[in-house]
Parts: sequence; structure tokens; C-alpha cells
Amino acid sequence: MFGPFRITNALSGGLLWKIPWRLSPTQKARQRKRLRAVDKVIETLSNALAKKGETLKSLERWKAEMPTEAQMLPKDKYTMFDRKAKRYRKGIHKLPKWTRVSQRVNPPGF
Amino acid sequence: MSFFRITLHRSAIGLPKRTRGVLAALGLHRRSQVVFHPVSAQFAGMIMKVKELVRVEEVDRAMTKRELYESRRPDPGFYVERPSRNRVAGVVGSGPGAGAGSGAIGSSGSGEGEEIRL
Repeated sequence: MFGPFRITNALSGGLLWKIPWRLSPTQKARQRKRLRAVDKVIETLSNALAKKGETLKSLERWKAEMPTEAQMLPKDKYTMFDRKAKRYRKGIHKLPKWTRVSQRVNPPGF
Repeated sequence: MSFFRITLHRSAIGLPKRTRGVLAALGLHRRSQVVFHPVSAQFAGMIMKVKELVRVEEVDRAMTKRELYESRRPDPGFYVERPSRNRVAGVVGSGPGAGAGSGAIGSSGSGEGEEIRL
């Protein structure tokens, strides 16, 4: 029961990952902050190019397709589509490098 | 002419080679490094590739490396009321006339002596 050789899930079952299934409130706050930071970069770029009268295809496409942080639903901010997960959703923190990649839109209807 | 002031905010460790290549092309090698590039679609496209990693501002002119360094220098916590050069001249002027007779070099030498004694 006690001591160094006690039976725990990790010891008896081998590999046991303890990744929470959902984000904590502070993780969610930081996620929103990162989303806003990207929005700000996009805004700066588009303002600067508009002043010069230039256009950029990738920027136009982003603005047309991607919602800003304020437009996004909480569901899309903190979870993402997964075809293998129950109810087709998993936490966004399961995405590799999730703090440094953009993942904003999901399949319609899911 | 306006510039993008680009700061590398997040490291690109573990990200694809393409991403790190874009950062290298922008001249960003370490976090918190700042580079300036003219506002153009070409550089905007490069920033788009690494938009999650950088902070971007639009500025009127590009700062040199030296200016960036000076802008980061912390407040020394003191200021010099009067440069020491003036004080040396004042001491020599009020002191004996021997310094003036021996010439400019001598007078400056005696001024230095006064400075050290004080």
C-alpha cells in the first residue's frame, strides 16, 4: 500500500499519460491572447500594405476565410475536430505545437 | 518610406524547416531579436508565414543596430551636473598664475592633479 513498490496505474500499466482532456482557464486565457496577437499582426500587415496600395493573396485569403478571435466560438477556440474522438471533438492542446500554429476553422457541421 | 519592425517573439525550435528558413531569410536568429524591413508585399508574405512567432509594428524609419542598443540601455541612476572638463578649467582659472606661465600643457596637467586630489 505504501513504500517504493506500491501499485499505481503508472507502475502496473506501463505507459500512462496524464494530459487533461480540457484546457485550464489560464491556458484558455493564454490561447485567446495568442489568437489576438496573430490578429494584430494581420491587421498591421493589411494596414501597411493598404497605405502603399499593394495587395497580398495570402493576406486577402486569410482575411476572407479566418475569423478573428472575437468572432470565434469558444468551441473553436479550445477544441478541434477529430474524426476518431467521441462527439468528433478533442482539446486543441492535443495538436502538436499547438501554441505556435494556427487552428481556427473546423469542418462545417462539426 | 515605412518599415516593418519585426520582433521574434516565439522560438522556432521543432517547427518545419520551411518556417525556420523564412525566419533566417528575415534575418531572425534568436528570440527578442529585432529586424527592420521595408513595407512591401514580398516582406509581408514572409511575415505571413511566421505570423504566430513574430510581433510586427509599422514604423517610419529603420533603426540601426547601435540605436537599438541605446534604446535598450537602462537608466544609469545618476546624471552629471557639470562635466569635469569645465570644473578643471575653473580650478585653473582661480588658482596661481604659475600654470599659465608654463604653457597650456602644464596648466592642463596641474588641473588633472587638482581633480585627483579632490
